[in-house]
Amino acid sequence: MFNRETWIEIAHTVTANPLRTALTGLSVGLGIFILVVMQGLGFGLQNGVEQDFGDEARNTVWVRTGRTTLPYRGRQPNRYVQMRNEDEQRITEQVVDAPAWSGRRMMWGSTVGYKNEQGNYPIVGVEPDFDELELLPLKGGRWLHADDLAKESKVCVVGENLLDELFKQDEAIGAFITLRGITFRVVGHFSKNGRWGNSMVYVPLTTMQRVFNGSDEVDQMVLSTGDLDLEGSQAMVEAVDGDLRMRHSVHPDDVRAVRVRDNQEEYAMFERVFTGIRLFIWVIGGFTLLAGAIGVANIMAIVVKERTVEIGVRKALGATSGSILSLIVIEAIALTLISGALGLIAGVATLNAVAPYAEHDYFADPEVNLRVTVTALAVLVVAGAISGFVPALRAVRIRPIEALRYE
Amino acid sequence: MLALRGIEKSYPLAGGSLPVLKGIDLNIVQGEMVAIMGSSGSGKSTLLNVLGLLDGFDSGGYDLDGVDMAGLSEKQAARYRSQFLGFVFQSFNLISFKTALENVALPLFYQKVPRRERQKRAMEMLGKMGMDDRADHLPSELSGGQKQRVAIARALITSPRVILADEPTGALDSTTSSEVMEVLREVNASGITVIIVTHEADIAAQCDRTIRLHDGVIIEDGKSGEVVEPTARGARSQD
Repeated sequence: MFNRETWIEIAHTVTANPLRTALTGLSVGLGIFILVVMQGLGFGLQNGVEQDFGDEARNTVWVRTGRTTLPYRGRQPNRYVQMRNEDEQRITEQVVDAPAWSGRRMMWGSTVGYKNEQGNYPIVGVEPDFDELELLPLKGGRWLHADDLAKESKVCVVGENLLDELFKQDEAIGAFITLRGITFRVVGHFSKNGRWGNSMVYVPLTTMQRVFNGSDEVDQMVLSTGDLDLEGSQAMVEAVDGDLRMRHSVHPDDVRAVRVRDNQEEYAMFERVFTGIRLFIWVIGGFTLLAGAIGVANIMAIVVKERTVEIGVRKALGATSGSILSLIVIEAIALTLISGALGLIAGVATLNAVAPYAEHDYFADPEVNLRVTVTALAVLVVAGAISGFVPALRAVRIRPIEALRYE
Repeated sequence: MLALRGIEKSYPLAGGSLPVLKGIDLNIVQGEMVAIMGSSGSGKSTLLNVLGLLDGFDSGGYDLDGVDMAGLSEKQAARYRSQFLGFVFQSFNLISFKTALENVALPLFYQKVPRRERQKRAMEMLGKMGMDDRADHLPSELSGGQKQRVAIARALITSPRVILADEPTGALDSTTSSEVMEVLREVNASGITVIIVTHEADIAAQCDRTIRLHDGVIIEDGKSGEVVEPTARGARSQD
């Protein structure tokens, strides 16, 4: 059935009507092409958003404050709500039971010097748990210890951009650098996937409060929700939110002064959006495939009808019904398979060509989902085989003499 | 060579069946040249289908070369067709996208003859038909007579014992018709049984024997010269 002669026969019939062959191929190839490109773009969108999330662990709650927008309990709006160490202590000890937490304070554009090199980097004061809350893969040395905070040590952990820009060939660990004119010792360095996270210099929060501000201010707070589900983390958010509003006299409807964001909820929202996008892509891809399959079925029906006489002749010349059926079915399969494969190659090539120009905050690494694409191709090939088989079966059942008088 | 005994066949119709062959008894010996005549609806095409193993029959018996053909499977029928029978059609039925040579070689493909051998034998057969200079032409580049010669070459390529011709001259002018009949007579002279279905009396007259079919039964059977004229008159009076 799959010998060379069969293929010569098929090559003959396929090339006998090049326009028809090309149109069939186009409908199949285009279907696969559109599916591949859409899948790739959808994947790229998801990749982009997930990379953006990559910085932060998903089971965290971020607490931020700002200026009040509503008057409340005799206080005027436009008052800055400042969190302090006592807020953090109270919340983590009395309000919620978080397995890990960290206060955070950031100083943008701080001058960092090493020997004769210097540059501007953000300095971030954090607590030891912070590396669990924001994923900071350590590449050398160590992270900040509880001991560093207790002693208010002048130590820091730097991102890999500083290694490239300040230290160059020098060993960073153990080296002394100046942060805003004060000497710190580098104890570790890290490298992460995010875009600008690698310029950060992390110091103990207590040290920062002592040497740079001399105060007990905390800008943000990060709390881990541990194994809590969405409901549990929501309860945590409400507890923290309620406590801060009460302590700082913030109106319950004031959305600017106290902002408690649940990453898990946000991620769940993105998940819902992506489920929607995926569904959308599936529906469009499915209909594209259906259109391709109908195109193949349509053309195979015409092909077989046109070849009714030829089928009759072949039978009279000693062909079995099986050999005619297999000829037509193999022809349909070969046609869909080859044009589908071409569509797949074109789709992959297009994605690869477009990818470098499509880098964006919410778009990264468009990928071809090979499993989906191969499944789609298989569906089309099966559709092609069936759409060849059904009319061919009808044609071989026609008595040859009738088939021959068909014209 | 060919023996039909009480062949009956009917086609199913909505709400019943249409009897087409109502008991055909027929013996054709090796080397005969037989014309089957009849008006349309007389059952001659169906008879050709049955003789050519292209269709089954409801009851009766059919021996081809001493082998009972009743209850053949589709595959066996195809094999006997391929071994014993060659077909020539009114509208030639050459495959339009194949050259004359490829058309002639096609039956050998179904006998699983290797390609090189197929080409060689097809070329020889075209040579016998005086068509070897047209081997690479497509059917559309051939005249009617040339097409029918190619079709006859295709029917002969498997060295069949019987040639079944369905109105072989129906689409040809009289000069070409007689050329084709000449070829068929030569074929017959080489010992191959030739059965021609025709409605033309002068074609039937060139055969050894004429069988006249009417309404699913054989109404006349005899030497061509004796049968044709009276039957033609008889048919008219019955119509």
